[in-house]
Amino acid sequence: MSLEVKNLFKSFEGKKVLSNISFKIENGQTLGVIGFSGSGKSTLLKIISGILEKDSGEIIYPKNSEIAMSFQYSALFDFLDVYDNIAFPLVERKEFRLKYTKEEISKIVKEKLKLVGLEGIENLYPSELSGGMQKRVGFARAIVTNPKIILYDEPTAGLDPVTSTMIEDYIVRLKNELNASCVVVTHQLSTIKRAVDYVIMLYQGNVVFEGSVQELLEGKNDYARQFVSASINGPMNIATR
Amino acid sequence: MFELNKTLTYQGFTLMWEEIKDFLITLGKMGCDFCSVLKYIFRLRINFAEVIEQSKRFAYDSIPISLTIVGMTSAIIVMQLAPELAKQGGADYTGMLSALVMVRELAVVMSGFAIISMVGSSFASEIASMAVTEQLNAMKVLKVDPIEFLVVPRFVAGVLFMPMIFIISATFGLICAGYVSNITADLSLLNYYTSLWHGLYVRDIFIAILKASFFGGTIALISCSCGYSTRGGAKEVGIATTKAVVWSFLAIALWDFIFASVFYL
Repeated sequence: MSLEVKNLFKSFEGKKVLSNISFKIENGQTLGVIGFSGSGKSTLLKIISGILEKDSGEIIYPKNSEIAMSFQYSALFDFLDVYDNIAFPLVERKEFRLKYTKEEISKIVKEKLKLVGLEGIENLYPSELSGGMQKRVGFARAIVTNPKIILYDEPTAGLDPVTSTMIEDYIVRLKNELNASCVVVTHQLSTIKRAVDYVIMLYQGNVVFEGSVQELLEGKNDYARQFVSASINGPMNIATR
Repeated sequence: MFELNKTLTYQGFTLMWEEIKDFLITLGKMGCDFCSVLKYIFRLRINFAEVIEQSKRFAYDSIPISLTIVGMTSAIIVMQLAPELAKQGGADYTGMLSALVMVRELAVVMSGFAIISMVGSSFASEIASMAVTEQLNAMKVLKVDPIEFLVVPRFVAGVLFMPMIFIISATFGLICAGYVSNITADLSLLNYYTSLWHGLYVRDIFIAILKASFFGGTIALISCSCGYSTRGGAKEVGIATTKAVVWSFLAIALWDFIFASVFYL
């Protein structure tokens, strides 16, 4: 398997945010993580990516695997242009600096930009790009080290439906290109349908649904049914969000 | 009435405790950040291109305001001091006193204030904005330590370039003082510079340079550390910037006191 999370617990100032989370993703698979805002989805990604420390539990993935993350608001470095944003890890990390020449780095950056359909924008700054373009530059920066695990935090948030579809296509394309395992945190059913193989649903830090996309859409349990039907009536209490 | 007083006292103590806790937490974070900075410096993991980039900010951004503040302050002091000294028959001491005041205290402290307002505040707000827009998290995921990439070059630039700003500002301040004493007390420039020469001690200059280095490093560290630990949104960016400025002012006052006690007591 490529990524396994075992009995993960996390709390902030005594408040449980994640409770006994476990899942496995095989190589080339995409896991969708859904749930209300504040259910612990982003915290889960931050723990897998190493931004946050876990309280207990295990995160198992092959040694020396690169983990990449695409952030909800892209998190591009606003003081660098697109080229420098993408080249950032290659230039700043010693192992890549020793491995690649300047010309090779330039070639890699151009390849990755081509992969996300954004050739010729190397000299633009993040503030000069649209939301969709920023997301794609974020993707290009995330995959520049050829990661085997890619985490997406709400990749289609704030985008129009057409751009969202394009982003979903890129998620699938990048996964196939790199044979990576992906975790996609999303609220969008369209993203689940198009880009995800398997789904877990979080509610108040617990996994309340686990199954295939088909099972989610069919409403395998009450939680899935409430989420898919976007109903305010059901086991998930909106007031406690 | 008694109950109300009790409640107010309790609230007052709670608030004070919160402030003390916040102070200790901030101090602890700064200590940790300082240790990380030293770790990278000792391993010679310093991005010199970035140091030069940050040094430009020290030089271009703060030199004009530093020269203005030091020049004006020295002019104001000499404007009041020189005529009084002339009345007492001590006009010849104007240059010497100016040199003592300027080199030992005024130039370095005033330059420090200029650096805090121009560079320190911008370091804090810039890094705080990066923190709240997840750019620091992105750096961590890309396995680049923000302390190494952002804080170390700013700290090194502060330590190296603050003394230069001090030297330029002090020289400018002494020149301004010379012209003002010439105008207000009719002291010739030759007399002023001769007197000034007698008040300039190599020891004082070295102590001031060392003090400027400490100031530069402290301002950079406090500003970066306040920005680095920011969580939240725009409001917190503002709070972090204010905190960086206030803490830097206090730290400079404290360093100044320590230097005066160690070298001149």
